[in-house]
Amino acid sequence: MRKVYLDNSATTPADPRVVDSMMPFLKEKFGNASSVHLFGQEARAGVDRARRQVAALIGARANEIIFTSGGTEANSLAIRGVCMAAESRGRHIITSAIEHPSVRGAIESLEKTGWEVTRLPAYQNGVVRAEDVRAALRSETVLISVMMANNEIGTIQPIAEIGRLVREERERGRRLWFHTDAVQAAGRLPIDVESLRCDLLSLSAHKFYAPKGAGALYLRRGTRLAPQQVGGHQERERRAGTESVPNIVAFGAAAELARTEMDERNQHTQCLRDRFEDKVTALVDDIVFNGDRERRLPHLSNISFRFIEGEGLLIHLDLQGVAVSTGSACSSGTLEPSPVIRALGRDEELARGAIRFSFGKDNTNEEIDYVLEVLPRAVESLRKISPLAQPIAVG
Amino acid sequence: MPYSDRFKDHLAHPRNAGELADADAVAEETNPVCGDRLRLSLQVRNGRIEAARFLAYGCPPTLACGSVLAEMLGGMTIEEAMKLTRKGIADAVGGLSTRKQHAAALAIETLHVAIERSWKPRD
Repeated sequence: MRKVYLDNSATTPADPRVVDSMMPFLKEKFGNASSVHLFGQEARAGVDRARRQVAALIGARANEIIFTSGGTEANSLAIRGVCMAAESRGRHIITSAIEHPSVRGAIESLEKTGWEVTRLPAYQNGVVRAEDVRAALRSETVLISVMMANNEIGTIQPIAEIGRLVREERERGRRLWFHTDAVQAAGRLPIDVESLRCDLLSLSAHKFYAPKGAGALYLRRGTRLAPQQVGGHQERERRAGTESVPNIVAFGAAAELARTEMDERNQHTQCLRDRFEDKVTALVDDIVFNGDRERRLPHLSNISFRFIEGEGLLIHLDLQGVAVSTGSACSSGTLEPSPVIRALGRDEELARGAIRFSFGKDNTNEEIDYVLEVLPRAVESLRKISPLAQPIAVG
Repeated sequence: MPYSDRFKDHLAHPRNAGELADADAVAEETNPVCGDRLRLSLQVRNGRIEAARFLAYGCPPTLACGSVLAEMLGGMTIEEAMKLTRKGIADAVGGLSTRKQHAAALAIETLHVAIERSWKPRD
């Protein structure tokens, strides 16, 4: 059976060049990066190089990068770490209604211990407004956490504007910090922490063609952070635990490729995505595109199909070898409709009928043709058995 | 738990989908928690279900359970149909996880509503 992978926002296949880069660190350079001997030094050199490569992807200094196990840990470390270090100053967080579950979860864990949280609306287009951040500021606000690009609909948030606002407030003497979850944006949008003026930024390696198991938190020099994992000196006392050297090396190699090949990849995925959307619009009735269609990541399309439920469509497509996602991959399988699509003001039927198609650098036009062949049939077959698509004839 | 081959087959090739224009019993039930919906129509002659059709909206288990129910009902007597259980439906789709049991429950509930509230024996 033909297989087409259109779930590149969930994860990406490791690039063979990235796999090659990590292999020596699984074999002859297997040392513990904390060891003093030659084996340790080789591993340390691999980690140091990766740190420079990851820093270069976001315009940071190498010593501002903390390696983690992935994006979830980076988000948790950022949010809980800053808040716990600053709780004597206040206990208020500003975030958005469309954050990834890892950010939502970290914030909810603080909320349970008495922190107050303001969740900003994302409006119909899925974009938060910087002026809402200003309006939500309180004297006890210590953290603002707004994602750079949404994982379900790809909308790009006004991070530089929020960063400027935070900087202005800080110049007026306020002590507050700004975190952005850039897990979906990294490798797809140019990122420069200096122009964004964020204090913390989360990354995940496997979203841009590295294996799963590595992530990073950018921590602006001078930002205080309470470590969430203790019992070791690694990562300048910010994250204890033996570094996953092969994964970190792969992360570095993938970051470098993402930086140098970003334009080419974006051009390719956007071309596939736009063609896909044009054809789907022509071939399938009663669909709704979710999220601002201009201000969004180039590789992602989120479409609600009326009268049917997303998971049924996902399985129909899966049976024909096409991999997509219903909303966030992490919330797939739950009974609740996507909170992100609901936050756009969509009704429950549209929220339940939302499917995310996310394109990758290795997808081809022929693959898209195949998806365009099977998708309309799958939608039609589900609509044929949907009571929502047919008026009640009897009873 | 992953969906079984039988489950996927029902999803890809639903049995007895549609509606009976000259139905003797109909019901449309909705799961108030998740919004899943099942519509069932039955043709009954001399206490035996001659034809059953379903329409379903919701998560894949609801679609598969609707298909399995409509397939099982064909040829059953009303008494036999009323003895069908959630477990019987769940087993017939190859098993359902605890989280998805609501789909089998909706199938049985819709069947009961159709027979108990809508069906009027002609003879």
